[in-house]
Parts: sequence; structure tokens; C-alpha cells
Amino acid sequence: MYNYARMKFYCDTERCIECFGCVIACDEAHELPLGIARRKVVTLNDGIEGKEFSVSVACMHCTDAPCEQVCPVDCFYIREDGIVLHDKDKCIGCGYCLYACPFGAPQFPKDGAFGIRGVMDKCTMCAGGPEPTFSIEEREKYGQNRIAEGKVPMCAATCSTNALLVGDAESVSKIYRERVAARGKGVQTPYGWKEAY
Amino acid sequence: MKKIYFLLFSSLTIFAGEVPLASPNLAPTHPGSQLYKEEMIEAIPFWNKFGELFVYVQTHYTKPLFLAILIGVPLAFAFHYFVWGPKKFSHKGRKFLIFPKWQRIVHWIAALGFIFLVPTGFLIIYAKYFGGGEPIRFARTIHDIGAILFAIAFIPMMLMWFKDMLPKSWDLKWLGMLGGYLSKEKKEIPAHKFNAGQKMWYWTIFFGGALMLLTGFLLYIQTFDKSLLNVKIFQIDILRIAILTHLALALIIVALFFTHLYMSLFAIKGAVDSMISGCKSEDELKHLHSIFYKDIINKKIDKKLEEGCK
Repeated sequence: MYNYARMKFYCDTERCIECFGCVIACDEAHELPLGIARRKVVTLNDGIEGKEFSVSVACMHCTDAPCEQVCPVDCFYIREDGIVLHDKDKCIGCGYCLYACPFGAPQFPKDGAFGIRGVMDKCTMCAGGPEPTFSIEEREKYGQNRIAEGKVPMCAATCSTNALLVGDAESVSKIYRERVAARGKGVQTPYGWKEAY
Repeated sequence: MKKIYFLLFSSLTIFAGEVPLASPNLAPTHPGSQLYKEEMIEAIPFWNKFGELFVYVQTHYTKPLFLAILIGVPLAFAFHYFVWGPKKFSHKGRKFLIFPKWQRIVHWIAALGFIFLVPTGFLIIYAKYFGGGEPIRFARTIHDIGAILFAIAFIPMMLMWFKDMLPKSWDLKWLGMLGGYLSKEKKEIPAHKFNAGQKMWYWTIFFGGALMLLTGFLLYIQTFDKSLLNVKIFQIDILRIAILTHLALALIIVALFFTHLYMSLFAIKGAVDSMISGCKSEDELKHLHSIFYKDIINKKIDKKLEEGCK
């Protein structure tokens, strides 16, 4: 269907050890303020043997991103490589993207005396934003642009167990397929696979 | 004195705002918020319940429906104005005090709220065509201020007219003839202090306004403590239902708000005076609120009501 790479995240729940490395790496790399969590690690079924698993979740950069569809200002744009980005200068902070998002990715800073929502902030897959690449404005509004530097996004680069995979969807699924085969458990349907891909 | 200063100071520090403490994995939000916790992952497979519905409504209906209201309702009234024309009543002669001063103040606080709420609401929906950014963010703030004004006036306004707004048998007759607005002839219309149209507006605000305030508040807070509601539903789904309700009700309320404006400003000449001075002319009462007029004559309170307008 596509003859170019489409960037995807995938978190291998069999490998994630809930170390929060990705979260801290993301927060620090982009110097995020408190109250903004672009990436989160969540543990489900805590303490139930055989059922407990942890997953690292952020913006999944959907192909038909619902946030992009509902935005009243059309501040979202999807790059050719599938990375979903948005323009903070256009954003009005209405919160529609959060209501549309299946993954709870959009984050809103609450500032001012009455806790009025500011403009939305979300994972950029370390690809910056609409400002000129490597500009100070881009750095301040969207964080590092590691993709333009040719580096892997910070979270996946930090992941100690290589549970968090990022890259061209084909390559990600190839790695995952190999892992499943090596485990010899047969093909499992990964959590959230149907919704994300 | 020292004690008072201490109390003042300590209360200031309490209300200075929550200072979020860093937590390793979760956004430091309201402790009761499920928006960033396990529930967020559990809600993913159920996205197509309300999430998909919201995306569908927002992409297909919101903008065209509000545009239809914005253009359709005034067009229909313009048509009415040119075909049947406005109703004119003599404003000379006896006048009766219908709305005491405090009722007028309450009404105008709510009205000011609406003047803030409706245009800014449209600005948010069509933000795209206004470029978004700081001006629309400011409009959002105005929207919140309008909501506070409306909230202040809401309960007194609902209480002060509650008894007069209860449905009566003649309301059906009023609805059957559409209040006589589709004819040019001047005749007695069955209505007490408020006609069936006004009652429709009142009950829409009674239930709709309360729901608008509630859903608006939920959307404003976003990270409210869900455990207070004691319902088994994902927090994100509450927000989705809230925004859908907010949009659907806004559609009805805006349509009726335009109707209210048209009736008071254009359809009945000088009707808005009764909300400014509080007085209605005898001619207008006799025709448009015939049952109320007969009532005050029979009860012999017409003299007293007339006093209020002198």
C-alpha cells in the first residue's frame, strides 16, 4: 500500500519491566513541565500471576488519526512518514483531540489562577513541529528533533530491554514476529494491536 | 491581629494552587483522575463505543448542523417578518408591572451570559476559519466567564418563574394555533403570564441549561475525581458523553435563543420594553396574554400592578 516507511511505536508487553526509563528519558530530553506526560508506563492486573503486564504508551501516530479529524482548527498534520504532529500556535486547547484519542495521548497544561487549559502537548516521536528544524522555537515548543538528527526517539533509545520498538512499521512487525517465533508460544494477538495498526 | 494575618497567609498558601509532585510514571494530576492511570489502557478496546461516535459526529454533523441553525433560523424569521409582519400594539394607555426589578436583573445577568456564550461557542466550532491561536483561546476564556454569569442567574431565574411556567390546558390551544403568529389578524391568544412558547424556552433551559452547566464543568475540569460520581464508566467516556451532550443541547438552545431574540426584538414591536421597564401595555396583555389579563381584572390587582409603572 505504501512504498515508503510509516513510523510506528510498538511496546512488547512480554519484555516491558516497568522501569519507567522511557518516561524519564522523554521528560528530560524535551524538558517537559510537571503535569505533562507525553509517555506513560501503565501496569495492568498488578499482582495477578500470569496476567500482569506493563505497557508503555504515548501517541501511537495513527494512520487515520482521529485527533486530526476532529480538531476544530485543523492544527494537526501527518507527515509522509506517518508521524502525527500539530501546530501549537493554532491550537486553542479545546480538548477535542483528547476525546477522540483512543490512547489518551494529548496532554494539557493547566496554568493560571483558574486552571484554564493551555495548548495541547503530545508525543512528537522526537520529530519536532512545524517551526524550522533545529530552531529555538521548535526546541521550546516541541522538544528535540532527534529524527532530523538521524537518531532514534529518546524513549526507545533508552529502553533497557528493547521492549519499546520504533521505526518503519514493516521493520517493527518483523522484529516482533521473530520474537514471537523464538518464544515458541505461537502467535498471540498483542494488546492494542487491532486498535493501533 | 497576628492570628488574622496567620490565617490569611495560611489560607493563601492553601489556595495558591496544587503544587504537583513528581511521580515516576504518571502525570501529576488530580489524585482521583483516571485519565492517566490503568483505566486509560483498559478503555482502549472500548474506543469504538463513544470515541468513534464522537469522531463521527464531529466530522460529519457539528459544523453543518450549527451552520444550518446559524443561517436557517434567522432566514425563517426573516421570511415570517416579511410575510406576516410584526405584531403592533398600542403602547399608550394603561401599563402593568409584570417583571419586578430583581427579576429583570436576574434575567439580564443570564442574558449577558448568553451574549458571551453563544458567539464564543460558534467561534470555537468554526475556529478553523478564524485562524485559531490566541484570539480563539481568549474566546474560550470568555465562554467560561459567560458560563459563570449564566450559572449565577440560573437558579434564581428558574425558581422565580417556576410556578408560572407549569403547563396548563390552554397551552395546547396556543400550540395548535402557533400563538397566532401565522396570521395577521389581532385576536385574543390563550396564555397566562407566559405563553406555551415561552414555557418551551423555560423548560429547555431548566433541563438543558443544567445539563450544559454540568457537562461544561466536566469538560473544563477534565481530571475530576470520578469516584464521586460512583458510576462504572471510563473517565474518558464520561468526557466523550459530556462533549456530545454539550454539542447536541447547544444546537437546541441556540435555535431557541434566536427565536427568543426574534420574538422580543422584532416579532412583537416593543416587547423588549417589558424586560427593561418591567411594564406591559394593556393592549398587548389583552391580546397576547388574554387569560392573565382577565385574571388580574377579576382578582382586582390591576390597580396595584398599574401603580408600579407610574
